[in-house]
Amino acid sequence: MFLALKEIKKEKFRSWLIIIMIVLISYLIFILTSLAIGLARENTDAINSWGVEKITLSSTANVDMRQSLLTKKQAGTLTKNEAYLGETPVVAEAKGHKQQSAFFVGLKANQFIAKNIKLDSGHWVKHSHEVVADDSFKLKGYQLGDKFKLADDKTKFTIVGFTKNAKLNVTPVLYGQLGTWRTLRGIAMGPITSVVASKNSRYESNQSGTKTYTRQQIINKLPGYQAQILTFVLMISFLMIISLIIIAVFLYILTMQKLPNYAVLRAQGIPSRVLVSATISQSLILVASGLVIGTILTVITGFVIPAQVPMAFDIPMLAAVGLGILIMALVGSLIPVRTVLKVDPVSVIGG
Amino acid sequence: MSSFAVKNVNQIFGTGTAKVHVLHDVNFEAESGTLSLIMGPSGSGKTTLLTIVGGLLTPTSGTVTVNGVDYNHQSKRQRNALRLDEIGFVLQQYHLLPYLTVADQFTLVDKVKPKGNLPRAQLDEVLQALGIQGLLHKYPGELSSGQQQRVAIARALYPNPTIILADEPTAALDSPRVKVVGELFKNLATKHNKAVVIVTHDSRLMAFADQLYEIRDGVLSKQELNHN
Repeated sequence: MFLALKEIKKEKFRSWLIIIMIVLISYLIFILTSLAIGLARENTDAINSWGVEKITLSSTANVDMRQSLLTKKQAGTLTKNEAYLGETPVVAEAKGHKQQSAFFVGLKANQFIAKNIKLDSGHWVKHSHEVVADDSFKLKGYQLGDKFKLADDKTKFTIVGFTKNAKLNVTPVLYGQLGTWRTLRGIAMGPITSVVASKNSRYESNQSGTKTYTRQQIINKLPGYQAQILTFVLMISFLMIISLIIIAVFLYILTMQKLPNYAVLRAQGIPSRVLVSATISQSLILVASGLVIGTILTVITGFVIPAQVPMAFDIPMLAAVGLGILIMALVGSLIPVRTVLKVDPVSVIGG
Repeated sequence: MSSFAVKNVNQIFGTGTAKVHVLHDVNFEAESGTLSLIMGPSGSGKTTLLTIVGGLLTPTSGTVTVNGVDYNHQSKRQRNALRLDEIGFVLQQYHLLPYLTVADQFTLVDKVKPKGNLPRAQLDEVLQALGIQGLLHKYPGELSSGQQQRVAIARALYPNPTIILADEPTAALDSPRVKVVGELFKNLATKHNKAVVIVTHDSRLMAFADQLYEIRDGVLSKQELNHN
């Protein structure tokens, strides 16, 4: 530690160059991680807020709730652990507002999903043309009592409540009655719901023409979800590897420059562990400093970034990512450490 | 009492046609309180002998005993520890750590070996004798070559070793400084009872030697000293 601190103090410019690299990388990784988490949440917030474990769809729906329609027979007998849920894409249109795409989710007020949805303001729907809207409608200028048209329905819908975390596939959700969903889908006869959702993880439908999936299976099949997540995971992984390479290359160059000095120290009996610990400490100090500054920048970004940007700052996840970068620094420092261990003191004796 | 003894040491590098016999049956003892000078042309084997005495190289055959401890019975780590405690290396290529001030060069030794180093007053004497007492807060890059070499000498002496092995310690010094360094080594031998061995081309150091050896083609022979 003594040698590492002294070198950083003396070689300020070089140390700052490395720190700035780490700041940029860690900041980028933190922002990308927050974006990945934010986007993932905006894909799944609504599903996660329902408290469901299993979802039964029509077997021809390709694991897509919007494509699923179940008849009363296919829905089977429901216990208190099951609920109907009808989902359909809609476009909200109101004077003074831009068109807003949304998912209309029809629920039964006495079933567990509707009971699990926590309202931020207002009350749950009591009539067919009332909706509880996702908070993002507020950001678009809607307020309680505001009215808008949905699809071709002639009667206007009134916002009677707002709820947080009601996004599905990065699109805001409008909760309403199940009967309204049927109207919006133009279903007069036949199907009574899109899916049957259960909070019982062992629930399986045995009705013909249906198939039961776990919540995660449904999430994984949300359009674009896997591609988004994999893209972010790949970007973050590459940045991690880049940070490892940068640390390794910088430290390797610094160490190579010091090898004759280290050889003299080894000739004088200074144990190699002192030199190894100096190399590792130097790497950890530089990276930790970069991480601290990167974290500060991320926090500042969190305060100034517009609410529309889907970023979520998950502290345990960001801490894990930070730890990952530190581990990469440790691994990166092992390459020059190998060189330090092989330094031959005899090489500096004689002229 | 001898501080170290080299007995029947042979050093062979390479095999077959590339085989080079660098040292031939070298026998050599350095006693506490004496300054021994080993002189010889380049390639004569004097540096190899120094690395063997310092425990950095294991001879092909023969034994090296330092203060009664045979290197052949020691692990690499034990040899390192012995070198840190008992042997002070003053090297021609001094390579001071560029990011440590002169004072920090001594602090590094304190960090590794907290006990048994020169007391402050004695270090001050060494620094004064070498004319570097005013350079404690300077970095090596701010010193002349000669000043760096004197700092390297002081650093080697700071752990208070019983044996001092010096490889061309006066290579970068002018004649007045050679006299100062020669006297310093002589004092370390006589006043502080250390065994000092200097490998050098510099005949100006002969004036301070108690024993003179010549090494040619790996054969070490004792020479008569003429201090007149």
